[in-house]
Amino acid sequence: MLKLEYVSVTRGKTATLHDVSLTLAPAKTLAVVGESGAGKSTLLAAVLGLVRLSRGSVTWMDDAVHRCHPALVMQEPRAAFNPALSLRRSVGEPLKARKLTLDKARLERLCRGLELPPDLLDRRPSEVSIGQAQRVGILRALIAAPALVLFDEPLSALDAVTQKHTARLISELQVEEKFAALIVTHDLGYAAAHSDEIAVLRSGRIEEIATAEAFIERPQTDYGRTLRDAAFSLGALEGAA
Amino acid sequence: MTLSVTGLSASRSGRTILHPTSLNIETGERIGLVGASGSGKSTLGNALVDDLRARGQSVAHVPQSPDEALDPLRSLNFHWAETERALGLAADPVRRQGIFKALRIDGGDLRKRPWGWSRGMQQRFVIAMALMGAPDLLVLDEPTSALDPVVAARTMDLLDEHLSGGRTAMLLITHDLGLAARRVDRLIVMDDGKIAEDAPTQTLLNAPQTPAARSLSAHRNWLSLPC
Repeated sequence: MLKLEYVSVTRGKTATLHDVSLTLAPAKTLAVVGESGAGKSTLLAAVLGLVRLSRGSVTWMDDAVHRCHPALVMQEPRAAFNPALSLRRSVGEPLKARKLTLDKARLERLCRGLELPPDLLDRRPSEVSIGQAQRVGILRALIAAPALVLFDEPLSALDAVTQKHTARLISELQVEEKFAALIVTHDLGYAAAHSDEIAVLRSGRIEEIATAEAFIERPQTDYGRTLRDAAFSLGALEGAA
Repeated sequence: MTLSVTGLSASRSGRTILHPTSLNIETGERIGLVGASGSGKSTLGNALVDDLRARGQSVAHVPQSPDEALDPLRSLNFHWAETERALGLAADPVRRQGIFKALRIDGGDLRKRPWGWSRGMQQRFVIAMALMGAPDLLVLDEPTSALDPVVAARTMDLLDEHLSGGRTAMLLITHDLGLAARRVDRLIVMDDGKIAEDAPTQTLLNAPQTPAARSLSAHRNWLSLPC
């Protein structure tokens, strides 16, 4: 279980995260939504141990998070790869870092799950489509079987059809792999369709946390309502009750 | 006045990325140009803007990236004054403040260069420039892609309001059929550099005829996807 307790991060004089407390169980998905500058990226950095906490703690199964080797899927698929390396070598990096050997059967299974043709990995990032590059990014995140995977706006660079397809592949793999997923996004439609819980972050504070259904049906705060209504007006929540 | 273009096409490195395309746009009409990445939406938008401008029509264009619209070496003040001059308008701080307030960029420092503002603010600045006059056509290429949902919704509402009742036609280019469907009367679906389908919004949503339109229509909502 990922546990954030009273996490505060201060940059310069301003607090970018303020007393954030969250929990996320294995095999579950938590989506953190909020606008630019709300502290979403700082939250990911805090979980990964990339920023110093001024207060509070982040743990995985009551131990330091880095011990569970969390993986990260980034926003810009092509920029997330070394352009000079074949995708196959990039995918091998997490294994190399942990001195693990490649389980070929696992690689094949994940490639099938992500609908990546076997020879695609021999290309460089610039030689595949953005949608394919992002699926390779997910493959790289999952190759070493992490218990916790963080997703930073994983679909925002993809077109509407590819977004939904990729989201479905992630959810299907999660059922098999049972990783906990922490998704940072400003797409409430994605959050509503693919997470168990939604946390609304605003100015570094958690405004509310609820199950996805409850949040879409009845946000508890004014800001939550503003977010939900905006998503409705953009057509992102069509089909919801 | 109906705007018409005929036989627009484009190729890159010997490959045709836009097959000969003709299009009529009625006065005040709102059209969504939708399709997957790489289907030729922006190419058609750019070709349309160039062709109409070359024939003396006034077209405001909000490109996908504010970098394409703004000169990194010039202040935002300069951009604004240049647009006013080009449109033959007198400097009007009140009008400017009104548009800026509505787009929530009234707090920005206009003495700065574009890169002194966030990307979302730059995008809204370009939209503000496009709203200054009353062009025959307003072409918006993914206008909300760099914006947060709350700001994006407000911006789309402002555009609706600004265009309602006027003579300016709008071409909204987006990969997101769900977004376009709420804002336009007519949808054009692009696929592989060609117009695959062109129909009134409700017709296209209810009875898409081509595979490209069917895929977009089936995937337009997060919460009611086909299994």
